[in-house]
Amino acid sequence: MDYTQLNTSQRQEMLATIGIQSIDELFNVIPAEIRCEKGLDLMPALSELELQRALAEMASHNHGAHDMPCFMGCGAYDHFYPALIDQLISRGEFLTSYTPYQAEASQGSLQAFFEFQTQIARLTGLDIANASLYDGATAVAEAALLATNTTRRKEVLVASTMHPEYIAVLRTVLSDVNIAITLLEATDGTISPATVALNMSDAVAGVIVQSPNIWGQIEDWDGCFAEAHKVPKTAGISVFNPIACGMLKTPGSCGADIAVAEGQPLGNALNLGGPYLGLLAAKESYTRKMPGRLVGMTKDEDGRRVFCLTLQTREQHIRGAKATSNVCTNQGLMAMRASMFMTTLGSDGIKEMATQSWHKAHYLANEIVKLEGWKLTHGGPFFNEFTVTCPCDVTKVVDFCKSNGVLPGVAAAGRRMQGLSSGNELIIAVTEKRTKHEMDALVALLQEVSA
Amino acid sequence: MTTLKTMKKQSRGDKPTEPLVFEKHVAGAIGVDFPPLDVSETKVPEEVAGGCTTLPSFGQHDVMAHYTHLSDRNFSVDGNFYPLGSCTMKHNPRINEWGAALPGFACLHPLQDEEEIQGALRLLYETRTMLEEIAGLHEVSLQPAAGAHGEFTALKVIRAYFADHGQTNRTVVLAADTAHGTNPASCTMCGASVETVRTVNGQTDLSHLKEVIARIGGGNISAFMITNPSTAGLFDSNIQEIADIVHEVGAKLYLDGANMNALLGRVRPGDFGADAMHYNTHKTFSTPHGGGGPGSGPIAVTEELAPYLPVPQVMMADDGSFYLDREREKSIGKVRSFIGQFGVLVRCWAYISACGPNGLRNVSETAVLNANYLAARLCEKYPMPFFDPKNGKFCAHEFVTVPQNLLDKGVTLIDITKRMIDYGVHPPTMHWPMHDCLMVEPTETESKQALDSFVDVMLQIADEISSEIELVQQSPLESDIARADEVAAARKPILAFK
Repeated sequence: MDYTQLNTSQRQEMLATIGIQSIDELFNVIPAEIRCEKGLDLMPALSELELQRALAEMASHNHGAHDMPCFMGCGAYDHFYPALIDQLISRGEFLTSYTPYQAEASQGSLQAFFEFQTQIARLTGLDIANASLYDGATAVAEAALLATNTTRRKEVLVASTMHPEYIAVLRTVLSDVNIAITLLEATDGTISPATVALNMSDAVAGVIVQSPNIWGQIEDWDGCFAEAHKVPKTAGISVFNPIACGMLKTPGSCGADIAVAEGQPLGNALNLGGPYLGLLAAKESYTRKMPGRLVGMTKDEDGRRVFCLTLQTREQHIRGAKATSNVCTNQGLMAMRASMFMTTLGSDGIKEMATQSWHKAHYLANEIVKLEGWKLTHGGPFFNEFTVTCPCDVTKVVDFCKSNGVLPGVAAAGRRMQGLSSGNELIIAVTEKRTKHEMDALVALLQEVSA
Repeated sequence: MTTLKTMKKQSRGDKPTEPLVFEKHVAGAIGVDFPPLDVSETKVPEEVAGGCTTLPSFGQHDVMAHYTHLSDRNFSVDGNFYPLGSCTMKHNPRINEWGAALPGFACLHPLQDEEEIQGALRLLYETRTMLEEIAGLHEVSLQPAAGAHGEFTALKVIRAYFADHGQTNRTVVLAADTAHGTNPASCTMCGASVETVRTVNGQTDLSHLKEVIARIGGGNISAFMITNPSTAGLFDSNIQEIADIVHEVGAKLYLDGANMNALLGRVRPGDFGADAMHYNTHKTFSTPHGGGGPGSGPIAVTEELAPYLPVPQVMMADDGSFYLDREREKSIGKVRSFIGQFGVLVRCWAYISACGPNGLRNVSETAVLNANYLAARLCEKYPMPFFDPKNGKFCAHEFVTVPQNLLDKGVTLIDITKRMIDYGVHPPTMHWPMHDCLMVEPTETESKQALDSFVDVMLQIADEISSEIELVQQSPLESDIARADEVAAARKPILAFK
């Protein structure tokens, strides 16, 4: 079904109103040589019942967090979210509306995005946030551009412990605009403030540090950003985990000027990697250089408190080549999911999730290091994710666990992780969803495979 | 014509302002609970402990009420005529939502091994090949997250191609004066500079195109970005000649695919000489706009540009299994994390599969028919610079009107559009691509009754401008709010609740 609604007589009536005999006349402007007369070579149309069968059939060939305990993380986490989110987000008034340019017809979306911005600003301990970007990786790139555009400097220092995909996207985005990336070397899986100091100069626009980093280790944002700030106007850019903000020091409290993140853990499904949302918060001084949509509070002609898109002169549809970013469509619905999630849980709920994840991750890590030959790869504090070095081939470990119905984590080696390691590290994430029973079962499998 | 009643049952002022979540906080209340911790506790070291304590919470019933009240303050495709030009606000089929929510799709981790996600990779591969066929181009990348991201990605691909062929001085991109704002903004993000090409009567001015090329030097140009049909709603019948002019100097023709809804199954961009293009699945292929995303912006390119596409690429192996190719030697690299807007692409697959080849052709035919029908019924009261059916001048899937006759009576374009809100119609795109214009795109999924109701609304507004002009000048009168003070909002921005 193509979802059109006209019957034959209506079509005839409409053609008569236009004053033509056939629809083809409307396409006469297209030169004959380029018309697609043979038709498209596609499968014939499926009815809705056939579509349901076909989709269910394809879905049945997939295995994931729905049928296996999932200990995989590295930027996408199997967190709990309340059932009401799927219900509320399905309301057509949210789902089928456009970007809220028309304030008088879009107060619902606008208020929700304003609430989202405020929630993200509070979660990060910063002043403002935008209404979302595509994902964590592109948010990092936009943060780097925000810092370089603000300072007119041409270099960013980047922690080598950041998610390798974020580094890869940053390389792509910065490659043609003359901004250099200097990778900061890690010591025992984290970046030392001394390493930042060693690489600082007045050419540096920003210092980007992710915490918890790709290994799960908590970085010293305070120390790194203090070194960055020794050169005035350098931006401390923290890449954060929004759930960790429920119990760990926030970016703002550690001296960050800009904070970006993958927002998926806030009420969004794993979805094989998308749609997710990028979070971007900053100090107020960055307001007029921010990328993406911003919703502001204002009044209507009768004095009511209302909301509208604002500072649009930053944006591509007004500014063209001089815009702060080319972002147009962002991830509105994902931002609304995140906001619904934060509204339902509040600080207390997010703290509970974070704390349970913390305790469970530490329980599992303690159990694993009791096994012969297994050890934690790094010595520093971690949140809900940690790295172990397997006493045997990590591929064998992963395959064995999967054949026993468990997704044990992400192997650090291989092309998928952009060559992060060539060793036998396994990165294990533990959310509040994992039970003691599931963790004990994983430990037993690890023992068995390495015996 | 009978006088229309405006649609809203309640008049403004009856509906109280919905408090912000920050004003509803109830200490100790929470919208959802958690199971007790089932493992021993581990102390949190002081040097890392902290956390945000200022997010409000309240009971679950009030969470539902809050968002239900907010949803009541939104126009939507489900509930309103939404003729937003260039945005293709068509019906969003719910089978698509049903499919994307299946646990076998929604619960997959993006770093899982390929053998566990064969069904998902099959869907991506089929989407890729269907989009290649619709474009008439060699290869599609599903990576870009939205249309503008697709532009950025394709421009990087073109740049990489030229760099690989020793033509690094091709740093200028041409764009029409009616181009979407994303076109020049994407150029800037790729380190390219932009030169504008004039349009005349909604079509590319060929002599100006040649003039600009001569002035800049053909060897300095990487691409010409064209939207076809143009943002004025007209198919550029010189498109082959434009392609020839661009190709003659070794540059590439880029198609902004925002208006693909007018071409489906009728014309394939590859057949008229496009070297690269992007789709907006949230326009052409019915994936919901979601109040500003998620979108998805797959790009299609010729064989010579294909080696430079971003990684990963979904592939089919000789044995019929599917895998992700992450090692393209000449690739521009990664443009986003993981493997694309998968959930959006499930919806896209479902839509194309529902339509089939004949359905897609009927989509574009009906979209064009609907637009021309509206134009024919409205052109007397709403003058249209490019629409003249008696002389064979039709529009594509959207049309532009410049209602100078009405503006001359003392209303602004904003007055007209705000009055439409009173009648339950979402305002069309305005002041773009021309000053004082409305750009109307009805899409193919509207019924004749809905089209006729829209005509009634527009004619009534024209009448009101003659008889009761203050109704229009003071509108919207029955929406949730009066006109928002956007100037004050920008002068002293309040972006977070304090």
